[in-house]
Amino acid sequence: MSITRRIFLRNGALAVVGTTALPGFLTRAALGAADPGARSKRLVVIFQRGAADGLNIVVPHAEPSYYAMRPTINIPRKSVLDLDGFFGLHPAMASFEPLWKQKHLAIVHAAGSPDPTRSHFDAQDFMESGTPGVKVTDDGWLNRALRELPGSSAGASAKDKSAFRAIALGPSLPRILSGKEPAVAVNNLNDFSVGGKNPNAAANANTFEAMYDHSVDTVLHGTGQETFDAVKSLKAADPAHYTPAANAHYPKGRFGDSLKQLAQLIKANLGVQVAFADIGGWDHHVNEGSTQGQIANVLGDFSQSISAFWTDLGDLGEDTVVVTMSEFGRTARENGNRGTDHGHANVMFVLGGPVKGGKVYGRWPGLDQSHLYEGRDLAVTTDFRLVLSEVVERYLGNKDLKTVFPGFENQPGQFLKLLA
Amino acid sequence: MGMPSPGRRLLVTSVLLIAAALTTQFALGRKKDKLPGTASTPMDEHKRAVHALNRLTFGPRPGEVDRVTRMGVDKWIELQLHPDKIDNSALDARLAPFRTLRMGTKEIVENFPNDQVIKQIADGKASLPRDPTRRAVYEAQLQRYEDKQERKKEEEKDEAVKSTTQSSAAASDVPAEPGQSTDPDQIRRREERRLANLKTQELLDLPPDERMKEILRLSPEEQKSLAATTRGARADALLEGMNPKQKETVMSLNNPEQVVVNELTQAKLLRAIDSERQLDEVMTDFWFNHFNVFINKGADRYLLTSYERDAIRPHVLGKFEDLLVATAKSPAMLFYLDNWLSVGPDSEIALGIPPHGRYGPGPYGRPPRLRTKGKQASGLNENYGRELMELHTLSVNGGYSQKDVTEVAKVFTGWTLQQPRKGGDFHFEPRMHEPGDKMVMGHRIKQSGEREGLEVLHLLAHNPKTAHFISQKLAMRFVSDDPPPALVDRMTQTFLKKDGDIREVLRTLFKSPEFWSPSAYRAKVKTPLEFVVSAVRASGAEVDDTRALAVTLNNMGMILYGMQPPTGYSMKAETWVNSSALLGRMNFALGLAAGKVKGVKVDPASLANGPAVTRSDAAGSNAAGSEKESSADPQQALATLENSLLSGDISKQTHDTISKQLEDPKISQRKLDDPKRPPNLAAITGLILGSPEFQRR
Repeated sequence: MSITRRIFLRNGALAVVGTTALPGFLTRAALGAADPGARSKRLVVIFQRGAADGLNIVVPHAEPSYYAMRPTINIPRKSVLDLDGFFGLHPAMASFEPLWKQKHLAIVHAAGSPDPTRSHFDAQDFMESGTPGVKVTDDGWLNRALRELPGSSAGASAKDKSAFRAIALGPSLPRILSGKEPAVAVNNLNDFSVGGKNPNAAANANTFEAMYDHSVDTVLHGTGQETFDAVKSLKAADPAHYTPAANAHYPKGRFGDSLKQLAQLIKANLGVQVAFADIGGWDHHVNEGSTQGQIANVLGDFSQSISAFWTDLGDLGEDTVVVTMSEFGRTARENGNRGTDHGHANVMFVLGGPVKGGKVYGRWPGLDQSHLYEGRDLAVTTDFRLVLSEVVERYLGNKDLKTVFPGFENQPGQFLKLLA
Repeated sequence: MGMPSPGRRLLVTSVLLIAAALTTQFALGRKKDKLPGTASTPMDEHKRAVHALNRLTFGPRPGEVDRVTRMGVDKWIELQLHPDKIDNSALDARLAPFRTLRMGTKEIVENFPNDQVIKQIADGKASLPRDPTRRAVYEAQLQRYEDKQERKKEEEKDEAVKSTTQSSAAASDVPAEPGQSTDPDQIRRREERRLANLKTQELLDLPPDERMKEILRLSPEEQKSLAATTRGARADALLEGMNPKQKETVMSLNNPEQVVVNELTQAKLLRAIDSERQLDEVMTDFWFNHFNVFINKGADRYLLTSYERDAIRPHVLGKFEDLLVATAKSPAMLFYLDNWLSVGPDSEIALGIPPHGRYGPGPYGRPPRLRTKGKQASGLNENYGRELMELHTLSVNGGYSQKDVTEVAKVFTGWTLQQPRKGGDFHFEPRMHEPGDKMVMGHRIKQSGEREGLEVLHLLAHNPKTAHFISQKLAMRFVSDDPPPALVDRMTQTFLKKDGDIREVLRTLFKSPEFWSPSAYRAKVKTPLEFVVSAVRASGAEVDDTRALAVTLNNMGMILYGMQPPTGYSMKAETWVNSSALLGRMNFALGLAAGKVKGVKVDPASLANGPAVTRSDAAGSNAAGSEKESSADPQQALATLENSLLSGDISKQTHDTISKQLEDPKISQRKLDDPKRPPNLAAITGLILGSPEFQRR
């Protein structure tokens, strides 16, 4: 990364605050990723918080025991959107069908964490830290994945990185992105500035910036710096210009909004390398529903938001990989309240330009009693870290998997080869 | 260097002789105490008062540090540990208009009917109330319900034609707006709005009682459109001069459930801001969060009023076991963690054994409806059993297994509710209860119906793992994110020795050297709730309406009563320090000080007048003369505001930055030819409240 560009970026961005805006093309050139290589690749991680019921999402409709174990909440064969004669999508996910047919969408079934916990909190923590069973890990794998990448503090000058390199959509920075590499949380792009329309906004912003910049409070100082860098780049790039593509229909709600804003940031060429968004509402202990009902509603929101995001990105999708995960699956059998309790393995989706889609990856362990984990749950046959390792190494180009997933015996030879 | 004594400081600031240069030195000197590593001098009484107020309250109000210092910090703490001895009548008067706070759940549901109640009327299973006021509310809801049903039918028709859009149920059940303006629905709605606006204007011209009568005379359809189109200032005008009941009724025309939720959240913030029993509020917040229930899970919307008031509040400084039992039996928790539906696999209901005579109508009436869309529920639900051990008592590494979870779930089968959506209370239903003995963590729980659950709660409440977990969490709230293990161990010992007496555990904590360690001073980063409330308190704001504050908290990610998972909100710095949150805090600080937060009035001039204004002996005569003087010099104003908002605990860096900014004509509001113009006190206040220092307590 050349020093001239860095200086231009910093000074250029600074100049924008409180004064006149630079012409759009100029700021885009300044802020945009100059490197044609690794820099333009981006990974989007989506977390389904609350333990999504993978068996009702990608349905093993050719398994007779599936129907036997779920007498009232199964997805009838006639309603399933068949994928390969054995698995099928929940009908609320119709918007995923074209992505599958275009071979952009791959599925990994019976994936999950080897840790046996059925605690939402612990399991999410382990999936975000990337170290199942180890609680003392203090950063997240998505943050560590950035470390060896071009533009990281180790790979290049610390100041030479986009403020939006690592972002989380939402009011707080999640565990998965916490760590040494700067990362910002963005709740609402429209509010992402100091002082709003107040005439003193620029003066106040500068004062706050100086305060946090000089602060000896290490926690607040670091975050302050990241924040003000991000505010400036955002102001320069003015993502408000980037409205969703005409055919991208985001559902109303927090998740759709998150992905819509993420698409804006990506299209505004703000140098997003990794991003994180989450969607809750999966913990269906009671009245889970089948083709209609709770799970259908949340799946509609989930899949339509993702497919709208994909549509919205257009050609930029070629340089984007989206991975979804959830802390664990749910019991193979329905419980006494037409719901499901906490289980084990789940399903992951991998979507993107370089993805070899149209295929369900991973070994299917089966739902026979003898094959169930602890006699009740779908067994894990693919460690979630194997899927992520392949994306991190093959796609993002970070070869230091020992740092990203410490303690995971990663054999690149074992990769599922779901990336081209 | 020594901390200036409180008396001297007061004198200095109220006599107002201090020069700008001196002030800078003052700030400089203070700073040294704050540098990490150098913080080794024990706290003096003034600093102890600041610390105690920062930890036991939602932040000091103007003049409060001096009041506590005068009373004696230890004496003040002891008083806070006995909230019943503290007069709180001013707050009680403020809360009086919120009638739902004093209602039982049944009464709430009757007065503010939910969809279930309305559906019953629509289906002809219940009749409208006779009281005309209540009837109006019901009729408006009935109208809304029928409109919704009609829309649903139409949508289904549309769906049949083109099977597409599934509206997301994530945020609300409001159907997605159709995008086309040619939509006949939208045209109809626009026309309705126009007519309603005309009506509203007529209504606004009437005196309150007449206005209320006219509103009740409107047709349900008109009432519905009136409610739906009257927002913001117009809504305020419509309610102007009405009594609480009238106000509630008018608001109920639009959404009765929202009235209940609104009163609960308003009360939460008003209490945090204005209660004299601050520790009681801090602990209520702590325990609610520990036994978290999410307000947007169905019936919990109107179960939380009773939950907080009847299950949490009476026990916040009492015995842990009482608190645990109260939450276990509370309709809010039984509903939230699904236990009310959990059925023993070998229970009479699961086996389909018909009720015999003695379980007939009986004292409890009919057993709860266990039908979930046609078929009978017939199995265990582990949700409560797991969270009871993981989150409420033992903690995740508390030494229980999946088998224990299942056994505990069996123990609690039969702990259910009768018609929770109608406000039904806890009920033990023997026909749902799993027969036989259960083994929980090596203990045999003999078959004894409802008593099994109480036995398990007793076991859990007295388990050393629980004692440790609770002590750890309390120490995290009051001392630091990573509290000293020795302190947690001593608190655990108190917990075990004193039968889980929370007041005693807190006393151990408040008397510990760890609590008073200089390294604990301002070591905790405030959560959004703590930040917002402490800013309002520090600025001495007058609060009429807390809704804007609640919206601020939503944007900061700490929705009141809105944490969906049972874990509750984190109280650690790492959760709350991020870009989005910091910007939110700076903007709130600026907005609050500039008087832009609706319903909250701040007077920076009175703050800049220093602590003198809040002293009882300085009332009256001092105001006019000294205010001008104190505010005239920007540097002086800054020094005074630093003292009143942050007890002077401001770093040299922050002080210098603001000080430099004061030379900016925009901030100082001063032109070169007009040196007398007072500085922009609101801007200085906002900058201090948004500073790194104010983010900690």
